[in-house]
Amino acid sequence: MKLKRFMTIAAAATAICVVGLQPSHAQDYPTKTVTVVVPFAAGGNTDTFGRLVAEELDKRLGQRFIVENKPGAGGNIGLGDLARSKPDGYTIGMGTVSSNAINQTLYKTLPYDKEKGFAPISLIASLPNVLVVNPDKIKANNVEELIAFLKTEPGKHTYASSGVGTSIHLAGELLATKAGVKITHVPYKGSSQAILDVVAGHVDMMFDNIPTAAQQVKAGKVKALAVTSLGKADLLPDVPTMANTIPGFEATSWHGLFAPPGTPPEIVEKLSKEVQAIIAEPAMQEKLKAMGVTPVGNTSAEFQAFIDKETAKWADVIKAANVPLQ
Amino acid sequence: MDIFSNLWLGASTAFMPMNLFYGFIGCLLGTAIGVLPGLGPTATIAMLLPITFGLPPESALIMLAGIFYGAQYGGSTTAILINLPGESSSVVTAIDGYQMARNGRAGAALATAALGSFFAGTVATILLAVAAPPLAAVALNFGPAEYFSLMVLGLVASVALASGSLLKAFAMIVFGLILGTVGTDVESGTPRYVFDIPELYDGLNFVAVSMGIFGICEILRNLESEHERSVGVKRVTGLMLTRQDIKRIIAPVLRGTALGSFLGVLPGGGAMLASFASYAMEKRISPNRAEFGKGAIEGVAAPESANNAGAQTSFIPMLTLGIPGNPVMALMVGAMIIQGITPGPNVISDEPALFWGMIVSMWSGNLMLVILNLPLIGLWVKMLTVPYHLLFPAIIGFCCIGAYSINNSVFDVFVMAGFSVIGFALSKMRFEPAPLLLGFILGPMLEENLRRAMLISQGDPSIFVRSPLSLSLLIFAVVVLALVLSPSISRKREEAFTE
Repeated sequence: MKLKRFMTIAAAATAICVVGLQPSHAQDYPTKTVTVVVPFAAGGNTDTFGRLVAEELDKRLGQRFIVENKPGAGGNIGLGDLARSKPDGYTIGMGTVSSNAINQTLYKTLPYDKEKGFAPISLIASLPNVLVVNPDKIKANNVEELIAFLKTEPGKHTYASSGVGTSIHLAGELLATKAGVKITHVPYKGSSQAILDVVAGHVDMMFDNIPTAAQQVKAGKVKALAVTSLGKADLLPDVPTMANTIPGFEATSWHGLFAPPGTPPEIVEKLSKEVQAIIAEPAMQEKLKAMGVTPVGNTSAEFQAFIDKETAKWADVIKAANVPLQ
Repeated sequence: MDIFSNLWLGASTAFMPMNLFYGFIGCLLGTAIGVLPGLGPTATIAMLLPITFGLPPESALIMLAGIFYGAQYGGSTTAILINLPGESSSVVTAIDGYQMARNGRAGAALATAALGSFFAGTVATILLAVAAPPLAAVALNFGPAEYFSLMVLGLVASVALASGSLLKAFAMIVFGLILGTVGTDVESGTPRYVFDIPELYDGLNFVAVSMGIFGICEILRNLESEHERSVGVKRVTGLMLTRQDIKRIIAPVLRGTALGSFLGVLPGGGAMLASFASYAMEKRISPNRAEFGKGAIEGVAAPESANNAGAQTSFIPMLTLGIPGNPVMALMVGAMIIQGITPGPNVISDEPALFWGMIVSMWSGNLMLVILNLPLIGLWVKMLTVPYHLLFPAIIGFCCIGAYSINNSVFDVFVMAGFSVIGFALSKMRFEPAPLLLGFILGPMLEENLRRAMLISQGDPSIFVRSPLSLSLLIFAVVVLALVLSPSISRKREEAFTE
């Protein structure tokens, strides 16, 4: 009897301690090394942004933020790992437009609970795409002319992409549905080979990430017709936006920081504030802009609203374009 | 002259301290594994692939190439000193080299091997530099249709690679092709043969497969027959060649270089075939043929020049067309893909620093090998006394770390383990693993380009014969196939491999 009573008291005491300690636990956070899961290979855009932010978090919060690359299955492997890790703030991870807004519709099964999702920390940066055409194959100087030209020869022209279901592919599908034109999708593994075939004229056009495409545009190998962000891009200031011709046309590749579902809101809040401050630093702004990237930094709620909007938009495009589910 | 500015660009890449360092590491490792019987360059390169991920592409490929030609040197050292060829390409060197060593002329034999190899390496490097640009001129014309035809040619040519039965070679290629289909289909995004395992969505990992099938499998095979190696080496003295020696080796070195350079370019050629062929040729035409088998210096000079020239020129089809002619080149193609470089005619124009840097590094690597090999002979011989049962657990440990570190995934370690068992079973049944690896690498590229070309042509297959480039590649492939299948050639081929 005595023992049972003791146990009850002990349990209650522990419970009080745990409850009582939780807020202060979040205040103390972090007290040990934090792992930042990057669901893509080292050296890519997502990895670069992840490392830039992790390094600064490291300096500001006084604990090691270690980047761990878990590439594979379009980001699903790394995000599956993130979803399964303890929601205590000591494992966080990077996510992108494909892994957190497109895969939800594109994949029939995901290695984590689609409904629970993730706790968004902050959007870090977004990368506009640019529509480039091979000047010998496409006789058009702007988007209106392009649409008119494509309508005269329906189904005859091709556009390249870095793979099925990427933001580059879906930008093409978005153009096809919004403008009502018929173009053939030619997927590649990655965008470097795809842009080369546009340059050589094997494929007629492509939406490509701005940093790589801008070089080919400046070399005069391809013609840039429009950028896919709502505002003009710093790397190609003379190029108009797609939204100019097709109102509301936006297809950017974005990268943000996430925590596993169920992470204490205090910790998410704390990290979000730090990330926003890091991105607001002039040195960081300069670094990101030089890469052709638009720095963002927003609150958890703003980021969640953005993700919901993006997920709905791409789900519509995938359905309208009949992209086969994986 | 263009070629000089290109070579200058190459020199500025190859002589960067970091690249010199990795080139040196490659040569050193290559020599070491060349000395150890059992471990070949294919296994070593397969095992070291994960280490190269973090390096810039130039350094990575320079190091891997160093391992390949370093092994040709190392193999001959033990062949001469203790009649134990470390490499298949130095088997014939042992015949006369060891006799020379027994006659007290080990130093002269080693010097002959080193100088002959260096000369051959220099000539082959120049050949590579001259032959490459004309091939590169057609690069931009290579679209999906042309790539498809090129891959067909590559697959057909890889049949010639197999040294055993043709039927088995075909079977292995098909097996490789099937393995290559695992993963997400590029055109439709449909997962194939993934069994709901997310790790398989990107296909079987090339590094894990090749580490299993070449690396671990070779260790298993060696453990099966661990034999005592008695190392009784006399002191090596008198590295200098006499005037008469020099006179005797000039012609064999030149002939060996020419024959080796030619055979190296052919698919399935490379170092081994070159050394056998040139030894056989010298034995027939040398004025001192009576001495062959009793320590003729020509019997060392000719095959050693030939194997090095062949090793070097086998880079030509790989670097200029992306077609791997032998297993080592297949691994190099894999290494390039990992580095984000699409192997093919575009490499010369897109990655000039990489291309020319590798060519110049071959020459600087050869120079390093001469410097490395002569003074360090004692060390290499000592290394032979390390028992295998101590060496192998360490190597397997490194392999597991390497496989894990590719994607930080335990799954890849299991893939490696699985393929080492498959590789071992295949080798027991006398199936060659090389065509399998080629099918595995070329298969996905073949399929992707075929479907891409069909998409572009709106389903019209005549795109493959309308392009003159594609048409000529396909015709060439048919000719090669006919030659391989013709009875007289296949008999000759068997002779060449059994000699």
